[in-house]
Amino acid sequence: MKSKTFEKHSYTFMLLGLMAVVLLFFTALKGGMMWKGDVWLGIAMQFPEYGVVTLGLMFCFICGKMDMSFMALGNFATIMAVMYMGAHADSPAGGVILVGIAIALGIAVVGGLINGLLVAYLDIPPVMATISMQLVWTGLSVALTNGNTVKGLPSLYTDIGHTYLLGFLPVPLLIFLVIFAVAWWLLQHTVYGEKLYMVGTNIKAAEFSAINTRRMVIGTYILCDVICCIGCLIMISTMASAKADYGTSYVMRCILILVLAGVLPDGGMGRIDNVLIAIVTIQIIATGVNMFPNLNTYYASLIWGALLLVVLVMSTRMSSGGFLRLRAKKAAKA
Amino acid sequence: MSEYLLQMTGIDKSFGGVHALDHVNFAIKPGKVMCLAGENGCGKSTLVKIISGVYTRDSGEVMFEGRAIEKITPADATRMGIQVIYQDLSIFPNLTVMENLAINSEITANRKIVNRKRWEQTAREALSKIGYEIDLHKKMGELSVADKQLVAICRALLFNAKLIIMDEPTTALTKKEVDALFKTVRQLRDSGIAIMFISHKTEEIFEISDDVCIMRNGKNVFLGETATLTKKDFTYYMTGREIEDDYFVPTNISKEPVLKVEHLTWRDKFHDVSFELRKGEILGITGLLGSGRTELALSLFGLGKVHSGTITLNGRPVKISSPIEAQRLRIGYVPEDRLTEGLCLRQPIADNIMLSSLKQLTRALGMIRHQELFEKSNEWVKTFSIATDDAHKHASTLSGGNQQKIVLSKWLNNDLDVLILNGPTVGVDIGAKQDIHALVHDLANKGLAVIIISDDLAEVVVNCNRVIVMKDGGIVGEMTGDRITEENILDIIR
Repeated sequence: MKSKTFEKHSYTFMLLGLMAVVLLFFTALKGGMMWKGDVWLGIAMQFPEYGVVTLGLMFCFICGKMDMSFMALGNFATIMAVMYMGAHADSPAGGVILVGIAIALGIAVVGGLINGLLVAYLDIPPVMATISMQLVWTGLSVALTNGNTVKGLPSLYTDIGHTYLLGFLPVPLLIFLVIFAVAWWLLQHTVYGEKLYMVGTNIKAAEFSAINTRRMVIGTYILCDVICCIGCLIMISTMASAKADYGTSYVMRCILILVLAGVLPDGGMGRIDNVLIAIVTIQIIATGVNMFPNLNTYYASLIWGALLLVVLVMSTRMSSGGFLRLRAKKAAKA
Repeated sequence: MSEYLLQMTGIDKSFGGVHALDHVNFAIKPGKVMCLAGENGCGKSTLVKIISGVYTRDSGEVMFEGRAIEKITPADATRMGIQVIYQDLSIFPNLTVMENLAINSEITANRKIVNRKRWEQTAREALSKIGYEIDLHKKMGELSVADKQLVAICRALLFNAKLIIMDEPTTALTKKEVDALFKTVRQLRDSGIAIMFISHKTEEIFEISDDVCIMRNGKNVFLGETATLTKKDFTYYMTGREIEDDYFVPTNISKEPVLKVEHLTWRDKFHDVSFELRKGEILGITGLLGSGRTELALSLFGLGKVHSGTITLNGRPVKISSPIEAQRLRIGYVPEDRLTEGLCLRQPIADNIMLSSLKQLTRALGMIRHQELFEKSNEWVKTFSIATDDAHKHASTLSGGNQQKIVLSKWLNNDLDVLILNGPTVGVDIGAKQDIHALVHDLANKGLAVIIISDDLAEVVVNCNRVIVMKDGGIVGEMTGDRITEENILDIIR
């Protein structure tokens, strides 16, 4: 029985093992520096913004689709939000912030809807459709801002990114945890989650089983882009501004995390708990690399690229056993 | 030198703990057609892969042309004159017939420069070996399966093949094409080539083979001349049990038709199709590939188009615009291609069974009743005796017959008036085939209206109380009761 449990979670154990190896590696090189409280607070502060984005993209991947447009869309949405908030600086901050957030999320819904329509109704391959949309959103942002940063966020908003609740819990982390819980619930406990895995595995069979696959694809793109936009809303808070090309490196980083976690873009695969482990592991690597001030930042890009390749090679060689979906405990007993 | 071209004795092969081949003996003479028969998963393909050098045997002896063969690679096998024509045919669909025929010899000869004249010559030479004519400059992907097969055979002949192994070549062919293929096979046989023909279709095996080797559960249970076997023996060797044809006797046909189709037309696919279907009936729709039979079914399930004509369900005219609408109207459809249209292979059996009934499992806030999902699907696993110990296992772990039972239960878990089965037993072995037929008879007699679409005439004859024959998109004949025989259907189709 015990070995069966191990087999079921073997990939999770492998990921935890990888995290331990990474920690040991940096400890060996940097000694106690890796274990200072500040370092870990920094980690907890930094991963939520792209962690949230990754959770959004996860839905797209499980559905067997791809989204390359989410950061460009998120940047456009937040630029619009910041512009609105800047223009109403003299009104009460609370109300302005809420309207600003609503504007950003509204734009994300529209962006997701367009992606979904292109893919589900016009049958454009997801990568092409969303790369085109990426260019459209980036173009709009640059046209609006001339490529400059947009400032003027109320200080109440920029504080969000730097506040520690009860002195130790960063607000971005809290937002991440809430979104993580919602995503978990959606995947594990709702009919939507059930359909998502089935549609992602074989969309044609799902259609032949009287499932509205087009609605599923469109809904998933909207969900993905809205969650990604929330990530961008956290990002502008820590940056205190919005810009057309913020976080563009997150696109590849999110894909890296998902592939590492076993959420392959083929669809129908992957567990959200593995995604969490992969997000944290990647942040530890990022933090660790930053501890070498002499290291040229361009090497970081090299490291990420090499890592993505290694993970891709690994994942294509792994038996699919590791990438099963997670089952609710109650059901597993039945 | 022995009279055998290839002789294998006591071949053993295990994968992990699974004994795929257990002391199998096999022998084939030049100039003979040898059928390798057996149900799915009996070890046929493993044996073929050992012959062609893809797998290495654990133990046993292999003699080829009187010489003992130790280890061989696929390249060695080709050099020795062993050619395998796999089901997927291994062709390049985007290249022309000529290029497909010539490319291998060009590569083997290590030529770097393209000489179209030489290519054409090679290709013509290949085609002339079986006196087959086709436009050399047609793209391979545009050819019918039958033509692709003949091109593959020609290509094999270019290598001076002594043994040609054909892996279920007739699966996607119409009767006419099968006849043409058999003509070629006989021609090759008479020229001294040994043919190993893999199949599980009884009729074909008796028609074409000189010798037959029957396998079951990794052992060979029969090896000898086909003439010494009766069909009954054959079925017994294949399945290990005696099977009788169980004709469908309708007992519960309703007066009023549940489904009425009038002058239904989907331009370029089928036209002016009219028929009625009553509860308790099993209606057969048969015809060749391309006769419009599948398209008709798709139109009744909301995945096809209707340009004109009407569909009446329980006396009310209906428009079926999507599978969701079809489901609401209590129509179910078991598709033709189980693997791409019927199943999510990488998902659990249970989830596949419940895929079209997720509404039943929804509770507040769109949450899913996991418990019920497993209980319900376990009931179906029991009802249909689906061969699994755990419904959490992936659908891909099951054999064709059991997979088909999943697709069936997926629809039967809905309350249906009409169930459309398209090729319900394609790729299903004899045992499971019987199970599925018995089940459908039972459902019909309990008041379900069933349509079976099939080009397996034996299946239509045994299971239907009424048959519609389609040709070129139109209905060309209808027969009931004793008038339904394979001969009568063939008379109309051809």
